[in-house]
Amino acid sequence: MFNLFSLSWRNIWRHRGRSLMTAGAVGLAVFFTLVYLSFLGAMENGIYNNLTASVGHLQVRVSDYREKREFRDLLIRGAAQVEARLATQTQAQRVVALEIPALVAGETRSRGVLLIGDEQPPELRERFVKQYLAEGQLPETGDLLGIALGASLARALKVELGDPVYVYAPGTLGRGAGAYKLVGLLRFPDAATETRSAFISLAAAQELAAPGSATRIELHFPFTRFSQDAGLVTLQPQLAASLGPGLSLESWRQASPAIAQIFDLLEPLVLIFAGIFFGLAGLLVVNTIYLSLLERTREFGVIVALGAGPGKVTRMVVLESLLLCLSGALVGGVLGLLTIGALSGGFSIETLYGDIGGEFGLPSMVYLSLRAWDISITLGFALATGLLAAWWPARVAASLEPVEAMRFTA
Amino acid sequence: MKPVLQVKDLTKVYKVDAIETPALRGVSLEVHPGEFTALAGPSGSGKSTLLHLMGGLDKPSSGEVWLGGRRIDGLSKTQLSDLRLWNVGFVFQAYNLIPVLTALENAAFVLELRGEAREAREGKALQALETLGMRELASRRPNQLSGGQQQRVAVARALTAQPKIILADEPTANLDSKTGLALIEHMRQLNHQQGITFLFSTHDPRLLERVDRIVRLEDGQIAA
Repeated sequence: MFNLFSLSWRNIWRHRGRSLMTAGAVGLAVFFTLVYLSFLGAMENGIYNNLTASVGHLQVRVSDYREKREFRDLLIRGAAQVEARLATQTQAQRVVALEIPALVAGETRSRGVLLIGDEQPPELRERFVKQYLAEGQLPETGDLLGIALGASLARALKVELGDPVYVYAPGTLGRGAGAYKLVGLLRFPDAATETRSAFISLAAAQELAAPGSATRIELHFPFTRFSQDAGLVTLQPQLAASLGPGLSLESWRQASPAIAQIFDLLEPLVLIFAGIFFGLAGLLVVNTIYLSLLERTREFGVIVALGAGPGKVTRMVVLESLLLCLSGALVGGVLGLLTIGALSGGFSIETLYGDIGGEFGLPSMVYLSLRAWDISITLGFALATGLLAAWWPARVAASLEPVEAMRFTA
Repeated sequence: MKPVLQVKDLTKVYKVDAIETPALRGVSLEVHPGEFTALAGPSGSGKSTLLHLMGGLDKPSSGEVWLGGRRIDGLSKTQLSDLRLWNVGFVFQAYNLIPVLTALENAAFVLELRGEAREAREGKALQALETLGMRELASRRPNQLSGGQQQRVAVARALTAQPKIILADEPTANLDSKTGLALIEHMRQLNHQQGITFLFSTHDPRLLERVDRIVRLEDGQIAA
């Protein structure tokens, strides 16, 4: 026995080919939106992880450090004490770093670099090694002699593993100069970073330029997805309050405003593209529903004559449109989820953008995945398409005069 | 006995590009419960127009229409839909069954619009089909039925809803004489056995021989 739902379902399959094409268009829109959302989400997470791995989720700096020009003004004095205070406030992993403008030299050549002395927790250090170490090793914690250089920088200085490397840091507060042994070569995605990167241990950096000091303390939280970042909003002011005077705490957004802006653009961009996909599919749905209404004008006239009021007729038309859209959405959704599932193990997109990608922190591997929000927004679009596409035909159907409609010939 | 349907001084004028065509000119008529009445007259005499106005499918230019003691000519579109749903059964010349529904589902359609439960509407529809000798064909779609069978399903659809009156517009016009006669007999039986009030338009002389009363229309007026 039928009800209005099954009547609508049978009606949409009267013209199988036309309905299949229309449902297919909605299905394609759902498929592309889901894959697109998951791809952008994966890119977002990749950029987020790359960025926060290098600058931390939060960063302690001296206040107004961007305005300061002198090395000594950038120093966080008593860095160990500040770090210890932070350790009582949060479980986040900490990286203490001292950045020194310096001149590095081999036997015959020299280059200006930003020498970084840092001390990383084992987990972050291991990740850094896995990502960037090409040969040799990173200087161990407390190692006062080892230095690692970007491979391009090492080539420019004409030094190889085991060779001596000399560092000059004039105008600093430590020894100001030191001789080291090249223990590691690093490769970075972008050439610019590779030609100006030099790493020593924090202890060696402090001995060289600023005993007991650091220029930044990074806090790394166990977030792997951009969506988890929202938790920082409440945490940041709490931690900032625990810092002494002259220090400030900034988020990765404040540290890298250009990339933060890109993140802010991504979400509306996705919605605009999804709107375009569904807008085009919606036009097909309007066409199908309206043609179907036109062909069945006499039938609608009879239905109205038998006592279906404007509300019921509207519901019948809307139901047909929704069923058409949602059946397409179901197929497109399942295909989309299968595709995303198949690509969730990750695939390389490095060849798409080459070396330039690294400069913008783009990930080399993309792991597709979906959030509940992505599925909700896609289904929301499909539902809205069904409702909006039905609006005009439903109005036409609801306003039919039964006597005129029953006389209608297409 | 109070009339189930009454019209008073009813006129209907169709306007197309400022040209006025009167279809009804001051028709007054009463139909009483249990009557089996025919509206007779040549094509263009206003039979269908009068049926449409009496069934609340159209609005008169002037005059009054009363159904079951309620004046209906001034009702809104939604009120008229509701009134038709609960009070009037229709049988149309071209059967007008819904092609994607079976005979049983077509017969139960009005009850579905009323929101009746599935079992109740299925029982009533089956009973109506049985009365018209269509029970065995209940699962067939309209395109699997002959014209006469389709028209019997259309009568069953009107019957299932147990309306105050069934209005039939030229119900035998598309049927051969044998099928047409059989349908008339079915309607007559329903009228006798269940007391259902029928009012139909026709110019079929076989049908006119079997009615209680004939109302003749000529040029939009009741002929003397």
